[in-house]
Amino acid sequence: MSTSRRDFLARSAQLGVLLGAGVPLLQACGSKSGSSGGKVDPIADGLKPEKGPLKLFNYADYVNPDVIKAFESKYGVKVEITTFDSDSEAITKLANGAVKVDVHHSASPATVGRLIEGKLLRKLNKTYIPNFTNVLDAFTSPSYDPGSMFTVPYTIFSTGIGYRADRIDAATVEAKGWDLLWDPKYKGQVEIIDDYREGLALAMLHKGLNDVKDLNTSDKAVLEQAGKDLASLVGLVNVKVTIDGYKDIPEGTVTVAQCWNADMLTATGYLPSGVDASVIGYWYPKDDIGVVNSDCMGVMANATNPVLAHLYLDFMLDKANAELNFQTNYYLPAVKGLDADYLISKGYVPENLRNAVLSADQQKKGVPFLTLPEATDTLWQDTWSKFTAGG
Amino acid sequence: MADTLAATPPRRRRQLFWPSFALPGVGWLLALFVLPIYAVGAVTFGGVDPVLRTPQPQWNPLHWDFSTLSDVLSRVFTGDLQNVFLRTFAFVGLALLGCCLIGYPVAYFVARKAHRSRSSLLALLVLPFWISYLMRMMAWVNLLQPDGYVNRILHFLHLQGPPHNWLNGDWPTVVIGLVYGYVPFFILPLYATLERLDGRLLEAGRDLGASAFQTFRSVTLPLSVPGLMAASVITVLPMFGDYYTNTYLSQGSPKTQMIGNQIDQYLHQSSQPRTGTALVLILMAMLSVLMVYYVYTTLKQQREALR
Repeated sequence: MSTSRRDFLARSAQLGVLLGAGVPLLQACGSKSGSSGGKVDPIADGLKPEKGPLKLFNYADYVNPDVIKAFESKYGVKVEITTFDSDSEAITKLANGAVKVDVHHSASPATVGRLIEGKLLRKLNKTYIPNFTNVLDAFTSPSYDPGSMFTVPYTIFSTGIGYRADRIDAATVEAKGWDLLWDPKYKGQVEIIDDYREGLALAMLHKGLNDVKDLNTSDKAVLEQAGKDLASLVGLVNVKVTIDGYKDIPEGTVTVAQCWNADMLTATGYLPSGVDASVIGYWYPKDDIGVVNSDCMGVMANATNPVLAHLYLDFMLDKANAELNFQTNYYLPAVKGLDADYLISKGYVPENLRNAVLSADQQKKGVPFLTLPEATDTLWQDTWSKFTAGG
Repeated sequence: MADTLAATPPRRRRQLFWPSFALPGVGWLLALFVLPIYAVGAVTFGGVDPVLRTPQPQWNPLHWDFSTLSDVLSRVFTGDLQNVFLRTFAFVGLALLGCCLIGYPVAYFVARKAHRSRSSLLALLVLPFWISYLMRMMAWVNLLQPDGYVNRILHFLHLQGPPHNWLNGDWPTVVIGLVYGYVPFFILPLYATLERLDGRLLEAGRDLGASAFQTFRSVTLPLSVPGLMAASVITVLPMFGDYYTNTYLSQGSPKTQMIGNQIDQYLHQSSQPRTGTALVLILMAMLSVLMVYYVYTTLKQQREALR
């Protein structure tokens, strides 16, 4: 009897230890970047690539599987892709150690700043990335990562208006610009992107910018005004807030949508049978001042295959591979030679969507969303929350 | 003395035998309910990494910081989040009413009137559970879109001029979606109560000269209150946290946003996880008021039944 009682006590103690361990375990989940234990200094020159497997962290279906296969056979390694749904999900999982990968495939400019400051990215050694010379001039030293010390761009994209060219003629669109989204004529057929930065920036662009820096403003008054202008969309056009423009425009349920240029290229694949791609239009401000963002690739500070990761970045900047990627995801690679003339001549892009391929001026003058200070970011999010909760 | 010693352990063992059956359940609750809720609290009352904006939970209650919660509370009660809460309560209330109006007759029929077909009807009631909730909502999207069957039928019957887009942030669409999604959960517990009703009580009512309606009003309905309460709790609690019904059926219209959408937004698309978890806590506190009322009335009824 006494033995079993001792047993019981011992087991209780074990259980207590287990339960107690749960808390620090959870604590570790929530702890900051320091736990990654990575190095941010660049790797030395001339190292041999590791044996892999190379781990990538990316949106689903964002790379051509043939390109991945080609990389695997070139270096004799396996490539594993872990996916995420949003930029903030990605940084959270990397920061709390839930995901350990070699390459962050698609970080937005707004998170690149935080990834660098949080010491999650490793400085690049460009000797492993000779294809860096292929990068578009406007993106060799972007404002979010001067000198491309930590990242190389994977794709670039602009934010504009996708519309039904069979319902609105191009001249009207050009004359109205952003006003198109506020036009009660299209009530019930208007959509804007479900993203706080994109939504509020849209209202600012609609109002007219005093300065392009306003797209990353900390000015409370500017934000408040933007929130009010967005709220007016509810009454005026019964706005919907989604990222479904790529299918709503071709299906015809929506006539005008704030969207990314790639959405309208993707849309050509969602047209009902018998409908020509000419029904789809894309507008971007004529003065080329608007929102242009990129998805950036970087090597993680705690990468176990840092050399291989560099080689992968280089592989993605190869023009032929970039072209293959464009054919699957319609996002313009940040690589020279893939301009509108070329992509149209190859038949990848219809002539009427020429504007959906970023011109050199659009690349140069476009403004990315940068990392905002914490208090400012909160202000942006709360203003957006007020809009989405309203009506 | 020796006899007593020998006799005690088996009795004690017997005393512990049945309660020990609750152990897996208690363990389950501790690990998957109490601990996660504590974690939600620890996040709400903890800090945020200034650079990466990831939550830094504070596990020690002595160091809890209540500023986020009080900020969110003031937004909920007097600020910009007030209308989302009011709207959510209104939607859930209307959906519950819909569930009652549809669910009660169905449950009553299956339990009291359908004799031979009962088991097949029950099987049909369980059938919706075989199909994912999201699939069922997407089916509604197909029915309600401008060129969907609803508009085609309305047009055929000459009840409607130009096609109406039901998915444009109309509150009735969201309420119908909620009713459709949750009504099976409402019917089953109600069925269980109605099926156990003592038929002799109803017969007594009729014998004493009450009409069918009077019997229903003064005998059947009061006796089905516990079933109605249980069914309401089972449907209302998940409805309050629901956000995908609205996401699918009004495509992100600000006019129909529910509190679940705000929680999703703050937890998945922002750098303010604490605001999201604070909303979770506030919603839970409101729901626990309803739960306490439910437990109180059920206990009261049980006590009265025993008297």
